Amino acid sequence: MVGRIVIGLAITIVCFAVAGRRFFWLSRLIRSGAPAKRPYQGLRKAAEAEVVEVAGQKKLLQWTIPGLAHFFTMWGFTVLLLTIIEAYGALFNQNFAIPFIGHWSAVGFLEDFFSVAVLVSLLVFTGIRIKNAPARKQRQSRFYGSHTGAAWLVLMMIALVIITLLIYRAAQENTGHFPFQGDWWAFASLGVAKVLAPLGTGVNSVIENVALLANIAVITGFLVFVSYSKHLHIFLAPINVGTSRRPRALGGLDKTPDMDMENISEDTVFGVGKIEDFTWKQMLDFSTCTECGRCQSVCPAWTTDKPLSPKLLIMGLRDNMFASADRLLSKDSGEAAEAETLVPTVIDPDVLWSCTTCGSCVEQCPVDIEHVDAIVDMRRYEVLMESRFPQEANLFLRNIENQGDPWGLGGAKRLEWTEALDFDVPVVTSSIPDGVEYLYWVGCAGALDDRGKKQAQATARMLHRAGVTFAVLGPKESCTGDPARRFGNEYLFQEVAKANIETLKEVGAVKIVATCPHCFNTIKNEYPALGGEFEVIHHAELLAHLVNNGKLVPGGGYSGTVTYHDPCYLGRHNRVFDEPRDVIDAIPGAKQVEMGRCREKGFCCGAGGARMWMEENIGKRVNMDRTDEALGTGADIVSTACPFCMIMLDDAVQASGKGDEVRVMDISQLVEESLLSGSAPSSAPANASDDA
Amino acid sequence: MNVVVCVKQIPDPAAPQSLEPGTHTLDRSGKLILDDSDAYGVEMALQLAEQAGGGDVTLVSMAPNGETSGLRTALAMGAASAVLVSDDALKGADALTTAKVLAAAIKKSNPDLILTATESSDGYTGTVPVQIAELLGLPSITFAKSVVIEGGNVKVQRQTESGYDDVVAPLPLLVTVTAGVVEPRYPSFKGIMAAKSKPVETVTASDLGIATGAAGQEITSVVDAEARAAGEIVVDDGDGAQRIVAFLEELKLV
Repeated sequence: MVGRIVIGLAITIVCFAVAGRRFFWLSRLIRSGAPAKRPYQGLRKAAEAEVVEVAGQKKLLQWTIPGLAHFFTMWGFTVLLLTIIEAYGALFNQNFAIPFIGHWSAVGFLEDFFSVAVLVSLLVFTGIRIKNAPARKQRQSRFYGSHTGAAWLVLMMIALVIITLLIYRAAQENTGHFPFQGDWWAFASLGVAKVLAPLGTGVNSVIENVALLANIAVITGFLVFVSYSKHLHIFLAPINVGTSRRPRALGGLDKTPDMDMENISEDTVFGVGKIEDFTWKQMLDFSTCTECGRCQSVCPAWTTDKPLSPKLLIMGLRDNMFASADRLLSKDSGEAAEAETLVPTVIDPDVLWSCTTCGSCVEQCPVDIEHVDAIVDMRRYEVLMESRFPQEANLFLRNIENQGDPWGLGGAKRLEWTEALDFDVPVVTSSIPDGVEYLYWVGCAGALDDRGKKQAQATARMLHRAGVTFAVLGPKESCTGDPARRFGNEYLFQEVAKANIETLKEVGAVKIVATCPHCFNTIKNEYPALGGEFEVIHHAELLAHLVNNGKLVPGGGYSGTVTYHDPCYLGRHNRVFDEPRDVIDAIPGAKQVEMGRCREKGFCCGAGGARMWMEENIGKRVNMDRTDEALGTGADIVSTACPFCMIMLDDAVQASGKGDEVRVMDISQLVEESLLSGSAPSSAPANASDDA
Repeated sequence: MNVVVCVKQIPDPAAPQSLEPGTHTLDRSGKLILDDSDAYGVEMALQLAEQAGGGDVTLVSMAPNGETSGLRTALAMGAASAVLVSDDALKGADALTTAKVLAAAIKKSNPDLILTATESSDGYTGTVPVQIAELLGLPSITFAKSVVIEGGNVKVQRQTESGYDDVVAPLPLLVTVTAGVVEPRYPSFKGIMAAKSKPVETVTASDLGIATGAAGQEITSVVDAEARAAGEIVVDDGDGAQRIVAFLEELKLV
């Protein structure tokens, strides 16, 4: 008895000391990060996230089977904390039971149920790991690049925790020390007890002692292992979830640094050049990653054979953080100055520039890591501080700077698209005329690109037809700065953004409708940080509203199959999923088919994150991958609601040689087509006849 | 090694342009930007100065209304300082007057090398650079697609219609560079910050001792260019490639 106490406590003290030392070190390391200057999101949102994402495992359950297995393992660990109390109690008193509830059948049942559930889950995990073994499936495996050895060890240790638990409980039953003596609600323990009973009380007594100590050893050993491995998420995930951006790290970028020349010096560093430039929250992100690879499996860069994997990026940053720990903790500025920048050694430039900022990784991550912000932070440093980036991007940056649009066509051409309209669009010169409801933010693509112009024209015609009044800025409009910002050129972004905000305020803009999801997202989510607060909606939302209210009634001129492609910045980043689908549904002859990757899981077209303006020389083209999927649905029309998606998808459809069979159209063009050859239903508004 | 780069600040080529009614010269009263074709000279100068182990890159420009926004772009790329000649009396100056003004301004820095573009993207006379060289009594090499300094000499690959000539000349001299001689850098934020405080010396024609009399040339009239005739549209009936080759042969291009 005394031996059992001494051994048990010795193991515990040693393991707690080692793990405690490690956790103290980790906490110092993470807290050495830069301050995270984000507005406090409030306890309520954090609590909600803990309930939904940690307790409810919502993001994990997006994938049903691994999600369920994880659900039971996570809850197993929580419920089995009771057995840890029981184990330590039993060290001192063989007849120990938890006060008050210790003999309840329900407790015994829960403990046994979760023991078995965890074992079953472990079998599922084993199956998943064998099925997706990176050794065989290479890059196709979401575990490619993860520490699979450590993962197997984790599975084994969890299994040992449960096995030793069930064995000592069974032996306790046979020696009469079990808190749920003879209670068949503790079904698993009693089941194993039946097997062990023939060995006799003496042997069972030995088994009880050995298995109990083994159980304590495995648990405390596991604690040490966790503190040194990717399995840290057990403790860090709830903290990371509680401190992450809410509702999610999508939409606008996290940081808007003050770039006012008055407030900065030549020593000011923008973006992240070295690991210490990341905030403590980002360092917590790196430490929390559990290498599950869900992000990797949905990344448009990785799945088209590019070197960027969000998982490997985060792992690389974590490894660098640990390797730089002495420097980070000493806070020696001289040492920091001499340290190498993350790019190009730790993060390869091809990795950094492959990101389309589509946000799939952020959407998937069960522990709420904010990958996109980290990538843009590093891009900012590369562009602003080092002027080190793919050279072909020079052109679009200069064009935005000098001509106000990435194509470099200039403001003078921004009204040409209106020439094809058979009604006048008011052009705002001083202020928005009375009686005009919306300012139509056409966007560079809508005003200047041939395919974009058709989209803008169709949108304008449909709004006009529904009686919506709108005006445009024409030459006064300029790029919102989205591509410059996502490319990392925060300075250029803020220059154009401030100018645009000034223009919008000057003309008295209140309600803005945009056809480009990038413009929409930037004005809606990013201009407020620079003092521009406007009510912004996307034309998909406005069209849906008009269709639902009967102000715009699609006709019978189209019949066929349509598949809708979610633009990342409309769907995932801004949660507009239903509206465009509602519009298509309102067209009597249109049958919708969904692609496998749709809505929250929509796959990028390849144009986001300023990728539109860069060469794509590595791997399969993202737009071809997406278009292959769209063509696979057998749809006649690939519909979308973003001019950049239209350009990317249309190019890919043409390149696939299907240009004669399949058309790429904006939802506004689709509505317009339905009205062309067919007769509009009688409920159409009075001004419907001036179209067609 | 000290290098002077002549840079022109021009009206935004993408914005609608207009001519002054009396003089038929380009209206330069709006915002001016750095002529894209001058970015190559600035980059080349920065690289040559760096390879030579130091030395300053000085910009020389002539523009109305004390305009410096284009100069700031070039300073942000890394040039050390600028001399701006801004004088109402120089409004509508012809190529020779411009060359005299620039030559006088360049002389002040006594450079080892002068770089310019082959021509500006607004006036397109293409005559100022060699006039400057002549006025300074220096040799000049035009249309450089590569510039290398070796000892006291400049080795230039001079673009020709059929290829390029290797030309060597001793310093100091003037070289005009083509687009493509080097890829201009995009200014870093550090560069943009630093550019705000770099010295820009603004001088007038009389400061340089240039008499601003009547121009030696004037534009008497301007006529619209003839509209281009529509091209021939060929529909590919499977023989597209052969017909393109035949067309190119006709032009003696292949």
